[in-house]
Amino acid sequence: MSSSAPATLALPRILGPIRPRPRWREARLLAVVAVTILVGSISLSLAQRAPDAPSGGLEPAEPFHLTVYLGVLLLAHLAQVMAGRRTDQVLLPAVGLLGGISLLLMERLPQNLVVQTVGKTDLGLADVQLVWLVLSIGLATTLAIVVRSDRWLRLYKYTWAAAGVGLLLLTFVLGTEINGQRLTLSFGPVSGQPSELLKVILVVFLAGYLSENRSLLVEQSTRIGPISLPPVPYLAPMVAMWAIALGIVVVQRDLGAALLFFAVFLLLLYTATGRAGYVVLGLILFIVGAFVMYQLVDHVRTRVDIWLDPFADPSGAGYQVVQSLYAFARGGLLGTGLGAGLPLISGRLPIPAIQTDFPLAALGEELGLVGIMAILGIYLVVIERGLRIGAAARDDFRALLASGLALVVGVQAFIIAAGNLKLIPLTGITLPFISYGGSSLLVNGIVVGLLLALSDKGVEPPPPPRQPGRLARLARRAG
Amino acid sequence: MDGFTVTIWVVRILFLVLLYLFLFGIARALLRDLRAASREPTLELGRLVVLASPAGEPAAGTTLPLDAITTLGRDVNNAVVVDDEFVSAEHAVLTFRGRTWYVEDLDSTNGTFVNGSPVDGVAPLGYGDEIQLGQVRLRLDRVRR
Repeated sequence: MSSSAPATLALPRILGPIRPRPRWREARLLAVVAVTILVGSISLSLAQRAPDAPSGGLEPAEPFHLTVYLGVLLLAHLAQVMAGRRTDQVLLPAVGLLGGISLLLMERLPQNLVVQTVGKTDLGLADVQLVWLVLSIGLATTLAIVVRSDRWLRLYKYTWAAAGVGLLLLTFVLGTEINGQRLTLSFGPVSGQPSELLKVILVVFLAGYLSENRSLLVEQSTRIGPISLPPVPYLAPMVAMWAIALGIVVVQRDLGAALLFFAVFLLLLYTATGRAGYVVLGLILFIVGAFVMYQLVDHVRTRVDIWLDPFADPSGAGYQVVQSLYAFARGGLLGTGLGAGLPLISGRLPIPAIQTDFPLAALGEELGLVGIMAILGIYLVVIERGLRIGAAARDDFRALLASGLALVVGVQAFIIAAGNLKLIPLTGITLPFISYGGSSLLVNGIVVGLLLALSDKGVEPPPPPRQPGRLARLARRAG
Repeated sequence: MDGFTVTIWVVRILFLVLLYLFLFGIARALLRDLRAASREPTLELGRLVVLASPAGEPAAGTTLPLDAITTLGRDVNNAVVVDDEFVSAEHAVLTFRGRTWYVEDLDSTNGTFVNGSPVDGVAPLGYGDEIQLGQVRLRLDRVRR
């Protein structure tokens, strides 16, 4: 064999022969990411060595964490080169940069915010976050290499939906309450937030359902005043979705997840049908639901009241939001620089839950408006890639799945960013790829992995279109 | 301003600049993607939209992808089967030559019409033009990417 021939190695049949394919664009972008994170880390350690730096609770920037993280990004890149699939080359660097910013932020915050003891060693905030980041990127890369067919998602959509509802009910019944929200499900030492996984299941189900019944949903036969709507039976999913969202608010007190689910549902419905009537109806349902919830549920009322006037009780209920606004104000245009924000006021953090709910406020203080715009820009890039993968997809299911996955990340980032900025009431969901938290990082890793796998043009062709769904056949018989 | 403060300031700004450099790199990649996509020849050359079809085959509202040579007629061997009592077995053929579509009437009994005027032999066809065979009306559409 001549040296110029592509190296072909025998490997387990699943993976097939290895034909490496260079990914120069990804390599170049990853190089920029590595330099950026390195400079950020230097900036952080310099700020901590400054004579006038606010002392107390500051930890030196850890070169070990940095090496491990960049090493994992490089490994993820090399693994994809070896797999030789023609997948998207922009997603990994974009997500890698967000993860790097997350790592810098977690190193900069007091390490005792989170302590997990494994064996005899105590792991601090940055240690734990690094572990989750590594697992998340590993998961994304594995899915990007291994997933070659979407059959397992496409054919079992009702099974997935049932699993999702089961997970939700399990959380309703067995979930543990933290801060008045019932979000966490724990089995012995393992605990997680199912609503994070639910958002992916929701997108898979909606993509399957909408791609199968799309032509029927476009029909207009019911009219309510000026809006024309499809036949009444096809409105059932919308009402069911609305009920589930309200259930999440009432039982779990999880406004963020409810808002995220309903928003993604409406966006996908509009993507699939192109009918504005659905969006109008959805918004009416949303307003009615929000009004009723405001009247009935204390938690909702508190959140809305804080949003309307956080300064009514600046040291009590409105404390977090007020401090977040101060943080943004301190940051100004260019920020105070990494590590130079206000870490502690009289021994405690100015913003409680800063690592999960307010990372954007911390970044806004230290990187300023300019930095925040760049970070939001990276989220836009992730959304753009997802929509583009969807637009290039060969059939409706893949198109809806890819756009839905990208939108779920984008909408989530928007909801929490807008909450931090007091644009909408604050809801406790995570900022994708930046917030501290295992469930969030792992699920977003799954999202990126699926998007990468879907972006491969050489994936197995979609199965021949099956008969339209049962609803369709019934409708045809009736009409 | 001592050296240390200046260094901190420079590193801080450098970090922000690098964030934007990354976005700029991505923007360039996206632009190149778009350019490549616009250069790529479309696989589908055009499609026919069925505007009216009293007999129901092909059904009104459906879109039919076209090959470079597409035959139309009542015979089942045609690429597009038009089941209408005023359509001949081999009625017409659509061909894509160079950059234009042409429609050729295959000596059908009732004739082929483009935008209402009868086709004598071969006639060029533009996107958006309407073809009529018997009672069936079809529109040639460009494939949007």
